Amino acid sequence: MINLRDKGAEFWERSNRPVRVLTVFAILAVIAALPYAGNSFLQTPIAAFDAVLVYPMGMFILMALGLNVVVGKSGMLDLGYVAFFAVGAYTMALLSTHTGLNTWEIMPIGIIAAMIAGVLLAIPTLRLRGDYLAIVTLGFGEIVRVSALNSESIGGALGIAGIPFPPGLGFEYQLLDQKYFYWTILVMILLVIWVIRRLTVRRPGRAWESIRQDEDAAELMGVSTYKYKIWAFVFGAAIGGGAGVFYASRSMVIAPDNFTLNTSILILACVVFGGMGNIWGVIVGAAILGYLPDRFRFLSDARLLLFGLVLVIFMNLRPEGILPRKKREKAIVKKGSDAAL
Amino acid sequence: MSKTILNLKDLTIKFGGVTALNSVNLELKEGEILALIGPNGAGKTTVFNLITGVYKPTSGNVFLGDVAIDGKKRHHITKLGIARTFQNIRLFGDMTTLENVITASDVRNKVGLIGSILGTPRSRREEKASVAKAHEILKFIGIDEYADRLAKNLPYGVQRRLEIARALGTEPKILLLDEPAAGFNPQEKVELAVTIKKIRDAGYTILLIEHDMSLIMGISDRVAVLDFGQKIADDLPSVVQNNPQVIAAYLGVPEDAS
Repeated sequence: MINLRDKGAEFWERSNRPVRVLTVFAILAVIAALPYAGNSFLQTPIAAFDAVLVYPMGMFILMALGLNVVVGKSGMLDLGYVAFFAVGAYTMALLSTHTGLNTWEIMPIGIIAAMIAGVLLAIPTLRLRGDYLAIVTLGFGEIVRVSALNSESIGGALGIAGIPFPPGLGFEYQLLDQKYFYWTILVMILLVIWVIRRLTVRRPGRAWESIRQDEDAAELMGVSTYKYKIWAFVFGAAIGGGAGVFYASRSMVIAPDNFTLNTSILILACVVFGGMGNIWGVIVGAAILGYLPDRFRFLSDARLLLFGLVLVIFMNLRPEGILPRKKREKAIVKKGSDAAL
Repeated sequence: MSKTILNLKDLTIKFGGVTALNSVNLELKEGEILALIGPNGAGKTTVFNLITGVYKPTSGNVFLGDVAIDGKKRHHITKLGIARTFQNIRLFGDMTTLENVITASDVRNKVGLIGSILGTPRSRREEKASVAKAHEILKFIGIDEYADRLAKNLPYGVQRRLEIARALGTEPKILLLDEPAAGFNPQEKVELAVTIKKIRDAGYTILLIEHDMSLIMGISDRVAVLDFGQKIADDLPSVVQNNPQVIAAYLGVPEDAS
């Protein structure tokens, strides 16, 4: 199979600045125009294509980016990531139906709520490693869902209905034409990419990377591994929470059933399928895994079989994902490398 | 004699029923190269693990200057000025040579997550300074030409040297080298001896575990000998070399001799 990652990176390095800017804008233009491509072969049979672009695709990308910081960058297996998504969604649902706050005002509150949940989970569990951590996080995800299910005050099994759309910003969010939702989530994704890239080329990224590779050596080289592991969790939680707020606002109804272990596993599958630790891989992986089940919905129940088959075959062909993490010999840090001379 | 910078006092550690170190006293003077030798299993690496906080002593203390550092967190001890290398190389293989050193040098940096996201002037300044410093260290150790290579793809000798460079990245006062010459040929050992002396001359204090006697006798100011968790000698290399107890520890004693 051709090595897409290296081809892409080579092209990027060979190009000068104007070419790079043009490339980025061309790609962005194509991606932004996707809601208009609904009448092509891309059309999904039951759900409208523009809706599928928002959920699952856009939402999966956002969550996969957040989970990738925890699993891909820092090497901690989190099987309860959906809990943060749920915390964000419930914050939105409760605050919007009980107070007059709108989606944009609730967004920071939901993110902070998810971060607090992240800290609460992280402090007792991050002394664990590997499989043990995975089991505890899995338990955490279920605790959040089951608590919601059994709390009549927040709707119990029925969940919460009547969550308002976000107020328009010079346009109106609509149910039947979701391109504005799509563009909003596109902006959110770009923002998250920007933040993650800043982090990964600087001190936190190096700390996470060293923890993933050899936690004990990292600690002995002065990396405060506990602190950075908490930060990874909290940062991932913030993205999950933000996604949750937006999800609730778009769906109008949320219920505990939206936040099952399946979702956690599916997002993890997006990360692994796309290429752990590589944000571009994760994005492609999440887009594909979000899209495929809807595209093949006409196969009804057989589509999940097909979905599983695609995963198995693909992971055999590319065990490290579509775009594996960087293995090429080039420093993450480039700027200022001449300064030593 | 210059002042004591690291002081191990009555250090004892037991693993279950096994006493790995028994009341070991060891003083490291500022600016010296102290070699720690002994047969396999004598407890040399255990001493390193106690100093760097990997283990807590069952009893006794480790003083850095006047401060007891036993029981402190490992990354905190590194920050206080003690860095080490590993006997079995433990580099960050998926990082480049340069990144390995910068990751270690981050212990001196102040910027955290928020500053990094915002790209504050201080974060930019620190990043730039870290890169420059890392290159300087790599040049000092003589492996700057490998700066952009992934650590796992480096030749074995360069990996060993990178271990030292990475430890220097933390700007330590004391450098602990755990068998830095393991697997080296005679030529490489000579080069390493030059490097170690150069590091000492740059102002670092060095505690060295090594098996190669010619290397030790050539560069160390003092030699301490461990045997079965006890210090049996601590003197100038030439004196230790002729100590009958040391010879016995290494070669064994004929049964009728004692």
